[in-house]
Amino acid sequence: MIDMIEKEEPIISEEEAAQYDRQIRLWGLDAQKRLRGSRVLLVGLGGLGAEVAKNLILAGVKGLTLLDHEQVTEESCRAQFLVPVTARGQNRAQASLERAQYLNPMVEVRAYPDRPEDKPDDFFLQFDAVCLTGCSRDLMVRVDQLCSQRNIKVFCGDVYGYYGYMFSDLGKEHHYALRIFCSLKEALEVDWTSEKAKASLKRTPVDYFLLHVLLKFRTDKGRDPDPQSFAEDSQLLRQIRDDVLESLAVSGDLLSDDFVSYCFSEMSPVCAVVGGVLGQEVVKALSQRDAPHRNFFFFDGRKGNGVVDYFGPN
Amino acid sequence: MVQLVGSLRKELADSLSSCRVLVVGAGGIGCELLKNLVLTGFKNIEVIDLDTIDVSNLNRQFLFQKKHVGKSKAQVAKESALQFCPTANITAYHDSIMNPDYNVEFFRNFMLVMNALDNRAARNHVNRMCLAADIPLIESGTAGYLGQVTVIKKGLTECYECQPKPSQKTFPGCTIRNTPSEPIHCIVWAKYLFNQLFGEEDADQEVSPDTADPEAAWNPEEAAARATASEKDGDIKRVSTKEWARSTGYDSIKLFNKLFKDDIMYLLTMDKLWKKRKAPLPLDWQQLENHALFNEDSPGSGLKDQQVLGIWGYCKLFQHSVETLRSQLEQKGDGAELVWDKDDPPAMDFVTAAANLRMHIFSMNMKSRFDIKSMAGNIIPAIATTNAVIAGLIVLEGLKILSGELESCRSVSSSTANYPEVISLVTYEEPYDELEECQRSPDYFFCTVFDTFP
Repeated sequence: MIDMIEKEEPIISEEEAAQYDRQIRLWGLDAQKRLRGSRVLLVGLGGLGAEVAKNLILAGVKGLTLLDHEQVTEESCRAQFLVPVTARGQNRAQASLERAQYLNPMVEVRAYPDRPEDKPDDFFLQFDAVCLTGCSRDLMVRVDQLCSQRNIKVFCGDVYGYYGYMFSDLGKEHHYALRIFCSLKEALEVDWTSEKAKASLKRTPVDYFLLHVLLKFRTDKGRDPDPQSFAEDSQLLRQIRDDVLESLAVSGDLLSDDFVSYCFSEMSPVCAVVGGVLGQEVVKALSQRDAPHRNFFFFDGRKGNGVVDYFGPN
Repeated sequence: MVQLVGSLRKELADSLSSCRVLVVGAGGIGCELLKNLVLTGFKNIEVIDLDTIDVSNLNRQFLFQKKHVGKSKAQVAKESALQFCPTANITAYHDSIMNPDYNVEFFRNFMLVMNALDNRAARNHVNRMCLAADIPLIESGTAGYLGQVTVIKKGLTECYECQPKPSQKTFPGCTIRNTPSEPIHCIVWAKYLFNQLFGEEDADQEVSPDTADPEAAWNPEEAAARATASEKDGDIKRVSTKEWARSTGYDSIKLFNKLFKDDIMYLLTMDKLWKKRKAPLPLDWQQLENHALFNEDSPGSGLKDQQVLGIWGYCKLFQHSVETLRSQLEQKGDGAELVWDKDDPPAMDFVTAAANLRMHIFSMNMKSRFDIKSMAGNIIPAIATTNAVIAGLIVLEGLKILSGELESCRSVSSSTANYPEVISLVTYEEPYDELEECQRSPDYFFCTVFDTFP
């Protein structure tokens, strides 16, 4: 890894050793040093974003950049714990900055209020890992394509009510050489008409199709399902479900109506679970330790179970 | 028509805002749990913890900052949570849940109790109180990357104590006193030695050679003779280690020579022990001092605590820590006793030095202070993410309970045992080795053991 050789070997101070003691005892000093030399971009400071921010800041990365163009609303205050209740109307990234920094003064935390769509390619290339939450499908595909070529680790994740997922693309040259990752585009564009795909449908978590529905909703409406518009959004969700399943050439029975009323807003405990898994995947990738999940993790907060599954060109 | 408050059905959201819940523990799981509870909409939360904040907590107990070190965990957790949810009604107790003030009546105030503990005694206690009060309890635990959540409800599930838990590992006296073969034996010996010299003397924590060791006898008659001799010898040998140390004024070099030279030479006379084992090599302070000039400790890269010193380094550490502990004892006055604490530097130094000297004597590779602290202090590695996941699962189980869906509650674990399911509803039969505190069976059956508990 050329990037790592060029970097100066980080030193863990006695202060850091004392604070990180319990995690150094788990993943070792070398892993902690690699974290100490890593810069991460986090897009989206909703419920899931705040959890990931917390986890990465506590882990002791070199720097975490927060990027979010959204404003703090009443809903944001309910969803996450970094934003002060007095910050209504402020930019969500900037409003989260102070509390995020307090979590660990030894990490360089920055916040920018811009739209990720407006950021030039260069912006994304300054990081060792990027983590996208609350982003449109198009943006995620673009950033993934751009970054994975340069060996920058890409992670995506969202929480919709009781449901959540994370996706990772660690590129072709990841340290754990046995594992090959594919792009998000390839992962989402699996051809379900092939015999092989049809055969594997039975074992496929329905969450994968649910993800397609919710990403389409986000693209079409420019937002996620809103409890304030429950009636219309529910109707739209059912419609999108029909359209998506048809376009993927899979049975409409795969996803019953049931999911509709459980995918509104971001449920805190689900953010905690998905944010925990996602945070740990980022730590694993940056520290080059332990086998990464490949390439999706789906969590169903109603049932209480979480599965790892691979989607991509077979 | 379905009405939502955030993600939740209105009926559920309403019941959350009116019910009272108790969180036992404000540490790794507790901080994450408190955050999840207030964000989910729980309004009346009581949290109890007897502990104060330590710097090593800060890598995961995110409600605390450096400036809070030394303060009450429950109190600071409450204050931090109120920062992002000022309308929550949180009561904090800096106290032990085992205090009799928290009686069955106290527990009956709550709709739900959630444990965020790190020790069996407290878990057993809360288990019994919840059974007696007939309140659902959510039990949980984490260690490293692994975690587990289980619901306990009288009459519906087995309770925490239904299955016997693996108990803390102990070693036979002769292994500790005569024939250590692993570093842990030497570490246990060093902790015993600390107590014998500076702390509460315990008859089960002898450090001197055990003449009654059955392995030392060549034949049964000799074994019997040894056993009686060891008792009779009493009048001469019964000078306790502490008394002996006092009589020398806690002279560190005299102490060194007794423990690491004279006692070892005595062990060598029990020749049967060394028939099949490598014999221990006694140390001599003077010889080591002379050699020291040729064996400088070279500083490596990495943490200071992770360095392994040379033998003379540990001799000096032994001497220095004995002197520090001696003056600590003097300052405390007559009849004073010290309690061993892994976070008290001279106490930790003492065990590091004594254990390593003994390891060296018994031809084991010496270990760093970092590694010895893990073993001596029973440190369980811990990270934020595992606690975050488990605390999320606790709240999800809690919501099921409050929705009246107790039967759908399951034991949930976070591990790779059932890969690719990484968060799974427990279906295994085997005990969960990594989590000492939790051991579960997937079967639900009635627990009648505590029906008559007062």
